[in-house]
Amino acid sequence: MNSEEAAQIPRRTTRSLASSSASTSNNASSAKVNSLEPLTVNDLLVGGDPISLDELFSNFPGRSSQILEIVSLLGPLNTPMLPLFVYGGASTGKTSIILQLFRHLNRPLVYSSCRTCYNQRILFESILNQLHLHRKSSANGYSNAKRCERPSDFINFLKEALTDAINNLKEKSEKLISGKTMAQGGIGNMIYLVFDNFQLVREWDKSSTLLPFLFNLYDLLKIPEVGLIFISNTSPDTFYSSNMGYVEPIPVYFPDYTDADLRKILSRNQADSKLYSSFLDVALRSFFRVTRQVDELSTAFKPLYEKYCEPLRDKRVFPNGDKDKDMKRKLFSHINPHITSSLNEIFKVSSHPSAEVENSKEANLKVNQRKLERREEIAKLDFHMSTSAKYLLISAFLASRNPATLDASLFDSKGGSDNRKRKRKPSEKVPERKESLEEELLMKGPGSFPLERLLAIFQCIVSVAEDSSDEDKQSGELMSDVLLQLSSLCNAKFIFKGRSCPIEGSVRYRSTVSEDLALKVARSLKFPLSSYLYKRT
Amino acid sequence: MEMKRENHKGKALNLLRSRVCDPKFAFKALYNSPESNYSKLKFMISSSVTEACNNSILLLGPRGSGKISVLELVIRDLLDEYPDSISVIRLSGLLHGDDISAFKEIARQLCMEHQLLFSKSASFDDNSQFMVAMLKECGLAHKTVIFVLDEFDLFAQGKQRLLYSLLDAMQSVTSQAVVVGISCRLDADQLLEKRVRSRFSHRKLLFMPPSMEDSQSLLVHMLTIPVDSSFPRDYAIEFNRKVQNIVEDKRFKETFSNYLNFDSSVKHLLKFLFCAISHMDLKTGFLSLENFKTAFSSINRQPKLECLRNSSILELYILVCMKRLEVKEKSFCNFNSVMKEYKSIHDSFQTSDYYDRNVCLRAFEHLINRELICFADNRGHSLSVEYRPVKLLISSAELNQGLRAYHSCPAILQKLMDREG
Repeated sequence: MNSEEAAQIPRRTTRSLASSSASTSNNASSAKVNSLEPLTVNDLLVGGDPISLDELFSNFPGRSSQILEIVSLLGPLNTPMLPLFVYGGASTGKTSIILQLFRHLNRPLVYSSCRTCYNQRILFESILNQLHLHRKSSANGYSNAKRCERPSDFINFLKEALTDAINNLKEKSEKLISGKTMAQGGIGNMIYLVFDNFQLVREWDKSSTLLPFLFNLYDLLKIPEVGLIFISNTSPDTFYSSNMGYVEPIPVYFPDYTDADLRKILSRNQADSKLYSSFLDVALRSFFRVTRQVDELSTAFKPLYEKYCEPLRDKRVFPNGDKDKDMKRKLFSHINPHITSSLNEIFKVSSHPSAEVENSKEANLKVNQRKLERREEIAKLDFHMSTSAKYLLISAFLASRNPATLDASLFDSKGGSDNRKRKRKPSEKVPERKESLEEELLMKGPGSFPLERLLAIFQCIVSVAEDSSDEDKQSGELMSDVLLQLSSLCNAKFIFKGRSCPIEGSVRYRSTVSEDLALKVARSLKFPLSSYLYKRT
Repeated sequence: MEMKRENHKGKALNLLRSRVCDPKFAFKALYNSPESNYSKLKFMISSSVTEACNNSILLLGPRGSGKISVLELVIRDLLDEYPDSISVIRLSGLLHGDDISAFKEIARQLCMEHQLLFSKSASFDDNSQFMVAMLKECGLAHKTVIFVLDEFDLFAQGKQRLLYSLLDAMQSVTSQAVVVGISCRLDADQLLEKRVRSRFSHRKLLFMPPSMEDSQSLLVHMLTIPVDSSFPRDYAIEFNRKVQNIVEDKRFKETFSNYLNFDSSVKHLLKFLFCAISHMDLKTGFLSLENFKTAFSSINRQPKLECLRNSSILELYILVCMKRLEVKEKSFCNFNSVMKEYKSIHDSFQTSDYYDRNVCLRAFEHLINRELICFADNRGHSLSVEYRPVKLLISSAELNQGLRAYHSCPAILQKLMDREG
């Protein structure tokens, strides 16, 4: 989508907002929101300027067959339809195509995503709110149109609300016809209920009855003016697990994009399309082997493309036009080493919050030698932690990694070098056993430990650290508020707190920190972590 | 003139779509003979109405075989015949499986029917007493109450208090009620407790999916448009002739029997028709064989193979690694063991696709999202993804087929799979 259009198109979030807070997301509506006019049936439309089918095709490259299929299944105005089940992988355009298609068709729909409506009650109430054209506001104490928890209540309310809404629509379309406007200009008298992210319903409580209920909704309602559309990430066969049956809805499949489609999508919005396509020639082939999701690829390509353009911007060595091939080759040799390294970082980017990524990327651009920079990166932690929390984290890590029987030999009260020797002895003697232990660690993951063991280790390493650093801290300063620190580490999910063990009766903990992070933390404290790790030799 | 012609085509499409979306149309055609379930059921219920007696019936049959539609047809006819002496209470096991909401819903519908004020806050006991009292009153007024219990097997879970009090109330002379249970479990009556079963009259009607010939004639019936004033005569005749031609085509018969082979229920057939009709070309305004073929291929999906086709090469590598581990009969498999296998493949074959652990972990998560693999147990939420045991949700035959169909699949993967094969 070009940027201007993107601004007008109500995005997924704005769309679901629009339904609950009633701001149709076109420009004129901003004033409307403030005055809080009562909602009309028109607010069930997607809103925005009318869009033609051709525009839809060009906005969604590679999706024309799916668009046509859905159009034909929805049928002309005022025709009944059987429930649809739209499925396909992440970022294949299911939701946006459905919404844009309804913008094109100009028919009312009730959209609710099972991700934002995260349980049965909220889902029911959100649908009813939209149908009742109800808006939460301070005047009604932000209450819902109906309180409704059970499917049995929901179906009655829904029937009522739908009949009202449909009568409303019918009146409107009759007026239109009597007003001698074109019948096609009307919004018809069908209402479509769209359930997005439907796969999430499987994990809800009571999903074993809720799923068949929703799949059977069309038959239960017996209102031909209702269209149901389920959108799911996973295929219909992943819904079989519940023992209740239902007549399956009609499947509509969105395959992942092919590389030709991806090229088209990624090169939209690019200022220099020729340059970008030569960039894609180089980059897409290798990235395509790793992932085929548009969102991941576009975030990975953004910094890479900047790098690709670097020689152009900085040196201005290339005169315009003539030596096309030469330029390509030069750019290629410039970018090639970066590709493999960024391939291995492709997913790191998206896991960070975006602002941070931007910063680190800027930093990356300044420092050119990657190796040096990487070492720097390892050395610094990207978040702040108090010293005692760091020690606590390390001791939790040690408690999870090391077998409890070795604690005594590792953390002798004297600390220092001699216990390291003692530690090595058993591992050298029985290498097979050590290997199998290591394998077990790899399989089973970090072990769990009681609080006492954690505190004991904590005390040991803190005392060792205080001895060695010889700073004149009051001893025990680090020991204060340990339990408080522990609970905040638990809340931050660095340490997992299990339920109490039925035999021993005490709560067991488990460290969830990866070795890399633990090493980083240790390095920031100048703590010799590796010498305390059992598996290290 | 041209405009009007277009209109007819749209109208024909609309007519066909409404027919398909209304299951009653199909079943009415299907159950016209006197031997059919429709006539049997109608006879049973109407005799209970006229003779003022109690009755209970079970309608059993696979999903989509028209139990509820036939019952609705019967009820509609009876309501026409005896408008004042029937009231219908409809419950569904999906919604009213627990006794509390079942009694509440019965009370609500009774109140609606008889213009009484329904109290939302009435207790369970109030509602059940209200129901018994109402049954008595209705009996005195010679009014038959028909209870339709959809998904009957779900009412048989728990203490069956609803069924017991319903059937117990029917034992008295004064009451006049018919209980119709609908279930796709053929053993639904075996689920009943003894005290309930003894009060249940064991009438059962079995609904079977139609035969191939019946399905075909149903299809013709559904797709034939009336040759009367509603459509231009020549258009209607041409339309019906084309439908007849399609049905007689050998290729169509093949597709059709393929389709019905794995589910021959009417609802399944309707789904097929709906898709075919939707793909009708409004320019010509006629159905074509092509429409049915498209419908067949768009309904008949192979989700697992589709998923494989969508996977990236790295994801395929991970799947093959997992399959190898499975063949080696490692009882326990998680991301770390897969990575070990991945590394060993790389070490021995020097593949070009060797990526960092992080990247593989993401690909692994993609596979979990695609549900080609899943966590083996629901426990262990405390562990991070790398350690949780996983299992494959795809058979080696499917994986093999998928790899062969993948257009740029690395040869090494197929070789590895063949070796296992």
